[in-house]
Amino acid sequence: MQQEQSAAVHLERVTKNFGHITANREVTFTLKEGSIHGLLGENGAGKTTLMNILFGLHKPDEGKIFVNGSEQHIENPTDAMNLGIGMVHQHFMLVKPMTVTENIMLGMKSEKAPLLDKNRVREDILKLSKKYGFKINPDERIQDISVGSQQRVEILTAIYRGSKVLILDEPTAVLTPSEVEELFEILTQLKKEGQSVILISHKLEEILSITDEVTILRNGENAGTTAIDTSVTKEELSRLMIGRDVLFDFEKSEVPLGKAELEVNNISAVNERGVQILSDMSFEIREGEILGMAGVDGNGQKELCEVLTGLRKIDGGEILVGGEPMHGTSPMNYIRKGVFHIPEDRQRSGLALGWWIEDNLIIKNYFSDRFSGKMLLNRKAIHEVGEKAVQDYNIKAPNSRVAVKNLSGGNQQKVILARELGEHPKVLIANQPTRGLDVGAMEYVRQKILDQKTEGTAILLVSADLEEIYQLSDRIAVIYNGTLMGIVENDADVQEVGLMMAGIKAKREN
Amino acid sequence: MKDNLVKLKSFQEDALASILAILSAFFVCGLMLAFIGHNPFAAYGALFRGAFGNTHKIAETLVKTIPILLMALGTSIAFKCKIWNIGGNGQYTFGAITSIAVGLYLDLPPIILLPITFIAAVLGGLLIGGFVGVLKAKLNANEVITTLMLDYIMLYILSYMVNGPMMDPEGFGFPQTPILPEGLRLMTVIPGTRLHFGIVIAVVMMVLTIYFWKSKLGFRIRLVGEDQDVALYSGIHVPKHLIMTMMISAGFAALAGWVEVFGLHHRLQENLAGNLGSIAFVVALLGRLNPIGIGIGALFFAALSVGGASMQRYEGVPYSLVGIIQGLVIIFVISKVVYERKKEKTIG
Repeated sequence: MQQEQSAAVHLERVTKNFGHITANREVTFTLKEGSIHGLLGENGAGKTTLMNILFGLHKPDEGKIFVNGSEQHIENPTDAMNLGIGMVHQHFMLVKPMTVTENIMLGMKSEKAPLLDKNRVREDILKLSKKYGFKINPDERIQDISVGSQQRVEILTAIYRGSKVLILDEPTAVLTPSEVEELFEILTQLKKEGQSVILISHKLEEILSITDEVTILRNGENAGTTAIDTSVTKEELSRLMIGRDVLFDFEKSEVPLGKAELEVNNISAVNERGVQILSDMSFEIREGEILGMAGVDGNGQKELCEVLTGLRKIDGGEILVGGEPMHGTSPMNYIRKGVFHIPEDRQRSGLALGWWIEDNLIIKNYFSDRFSGKMLLNRKAIHEVGEKAVQDYNIKAPNSRVAVKNLSGGNQQKVILARELGEHPKVLIANQPTRGLDVGAMEYVRQKILDQKTEGTAILLVSADLEEIYQLSDRIAVIYNGTLMGIVENDADVQEVGLMMAGIKAKREN
Repeated sequence: MKDNLVKLKSFQEDALASILAILSAFFVCGLMLAFIGHNPFAAYGALFRGAFGNTHKIAETLVKTIPILLMALGTSIAFKCKIWNIGGNGQYTFGAITSIAVGLYLDLPPIILLPITFIAAVLGGLLIGGFVGVLKAKLNANEVITTLMLDYIMLYILSYMVNGPMMDPEGFGFPQTPILPEGLRLMTVIPGTRLHFGIVIAVVMMVLTIYFWKSKLGFRIRLVGEDQDVALYSGIHVPKHLIMTMMISAGFAALAGWVEVFGLHHRLQENLAGNLGSIAFVVALLGRLNPIGIGIGALFFAALSVGGASMQRYEGVPYSLVGIIQGLVIIFVISKVVYERKKEKTIG
C-alpha cells in the first residue's frame, strides 16, 4: 500500500456521544493528501457528526485529530479554517440578498481595513472561478442563482479562504443530474490542484464514480475502508453499509382492486402569487391500487398533495373520497375521512421536532376515544401506543419519550409512517417518502407502502425516483408543469415516461 | 417507572435552574450589601421575617401573590403558544373597569350581582384578548406591540373614568370611584387580615391550568406553539387557536383585576395595575411555564415586595434593593433561556 503518501487528516479512535446515543464509536479515519475520499453510510450512521467534529462544531469525547501529521485541538470552525479545513453543509450558509462577492468576503479581513476591498476580491473570484471551471458571476445576487451555483459559491468561499481539505456534506442531494456532473468535474479539477476532498454520501453510484477511497460507517463505527477500483461493486459496498444484502426487488402481491376510493375530476389551483400551478387534472385511484406520480421536482407535485389533503384550495373541479365530495372542506375533515399524508418535508411539516415520539404519533388523532376522554388526554394509552410503535416500526430510540429531533432521518420517517399508517388510511398520499433516506430505510418504507396496498388503501405515490415508481406502482401518471401528461401501465417503456417527464407528449394511439 | 424518572428529572432540572437564578441574585445582592456596609444575613433575615414572620405578614404576602399568580398563569398559556402577551396590565385594568362599572351601576341583589361582575370582568378580558388575537391572526400584527399599546390605552381610560364619569361624587375630588357596598366585597379568609377569597380562586385556577395542559385544547395550543406548519398539517385551525389562546390569556389577567378590586381595593383608582404585568411576565419564565412553578414564583416575588418593606424599616436597607434582586433574577433566568437555545442550535 502507499504508506508513504502523507495524510492530510487523520482521526484516531474518535468517540462522540449525545446523551444515550453514541454517534461515533472509536472511528479511525485517514484522508490522503490530494485524494477524494468518500464517507458512506446510512442516515444516522454518524457521517455528519464525524465531519462536524473535524470542522470544530462538536468536540469529541475521546480520540485525537491530526492535521498534516501534528495533533490539533479544534475548538471551533475558525480553528478548522485556520488549519485549512473547509466545509460545505447540506444547508447553505449564504446571505440571499447579497452578491456572490459580498458573500465570499463576509467575515474576512480586508487588506484595506477598515474599508472593504471589493474589487480585489472580485478579481480573485474571477481568477479562481476560471481556474477550476466554476462558471460563477461574482456580481449576481445569491437569490437569483441556481442551487447548483450557490453550492459552487460555498466551495469557492472555502477555497478562497485557503482550504486544503474540503468537506462536502451530501452535496448532490440538492442537485439536478447535469449539475452533479458539473460538480464532479470541479472536484476532479480540485484534486489535480492538490486539494483533498471528503465527500459524504449515501449514494453508491456517486462513491463508485468519483472517489479514490471510501470509508463506510455503520452504526457509528468504521465498517471498513477500501480503495475504489474496478473490482469494487455496488453490492459489496451496500453490504458493508447495512450489514446485509439489500432487496432491490420487491415481490408485489396481486391485490384485487376495489372501487374507486379517490376521484379527482378536472381540478385546478393557483398559488399565492396567482400563478396557475395545477390545471385541469383528473385521475382516480382504486382500493388496493398504487398510482405512481412521476415528474421532475417542482412541477406541481407538492401543490397536488396539499390539495388532496385539504391544505390548499382548488379553484375548479372536484375531489371525491369514497364517493363523497371533499373539496372546500377543512384539512381535519380529510383526516377524519381517512386521508393520510406523508409530507415531502418531514422535518418542517410532518413532525414537531422538539416533541416526544409518542406525542408526535397522536397529533392527528389525539381526539380519538383511544387517546382521550371528553376533555383530557389519556397519557397512559398514548405512552403504550408510543412504546408499541417504537417496537413495531423498529425506531432506534431508548423509549417513546425521546424528542424526535434526536432521531436520524430514517427513524423520523418511521415515526411518520407509524402515525399515518396506524389509523388504517383509506387514502394515502405519499410525497417523496424515501427522499434522503439510506438504502435500508428506503427498503423498509417501500415495503410498508406495499403492505398498505394489500390492506386495500388507495395510494398516491409521488416520487422523482423512477426506479421507485416502477417498483411500487400499478399505474404511472406523469405530471409536468401542473398538468397530467398521461397515465400509463406499469409495463410502459421507461423512455416514454422519461419523455413525458420532459413535457413531450407520448405518441401513442388511444 | 423509568418514564416517570425521565419526567421527574426534567422537572428537577427546570426547578434547579430557577432556584440557581434566585440564589445567584441573592448572592450578588449580598456582596453589594456587604460593600455598602450592611450585614447581608441580617438584611435577608429581616426580609424573610417581614414576609413570613407572623400570620398577618403571611396573609399580606399571600394577598400580593394572588394577582401575580393569576396573571402569570395567563402569560404562560400565551407563551406556550409562542405568543408574547406582555399587556397583562391593560387586560387587568379592563377587567377591573368593566366589573366595577357593572357592580356600581347595576341595581341587583349582591348575591346575583357579584357573579355578574365576575362574568363582566372575564368577558372584558376575552374581548380585549380576542381583539389582539384577531389582529395577530388575520392582519399579522405583532402582539408585543398591540398588547403594549393597549396597556397605555387602558391606563388612560382608567384615568379618565376615575377623574370623570365614574368619579366618586362624595370623594372630595379624589381620582377614584365610589367604594363598593359591603355585600359586593369578597369575603375575608383569615379574620383580622386583608387576605380574601381571591387566594382560593387563584389556587383553583392554578390547578385548572395543570389540567388544561392535559386537555385536548391544551394539546392543540401547545402544538400551534411548537410548530405552526405541523399544526396546520395535523388539521388544526391555526388562526382560531391563536385567537383563543390570546383570549384565555387575557381572561386570566382580567380575572386578576376583578379579584383585586372586589377583594382588596373595593374601588377603582388611578394606575391600579402598577408593575404587576412585568412581574407576572418574569414569574411565568421563572416558573418555567409550569403552573406549580409559577405558584412558587409568584409567592417568591410577593414575599420580596412585602419583606422588602420590613427590611428597610428594621435594617435600614433601601427598598430599592428588592428591585435589584428582582432585576438580577430576571437577568439570570433569561440568560439561562438564551443559553439553552444556543446549546440546542449547536447540537441540532
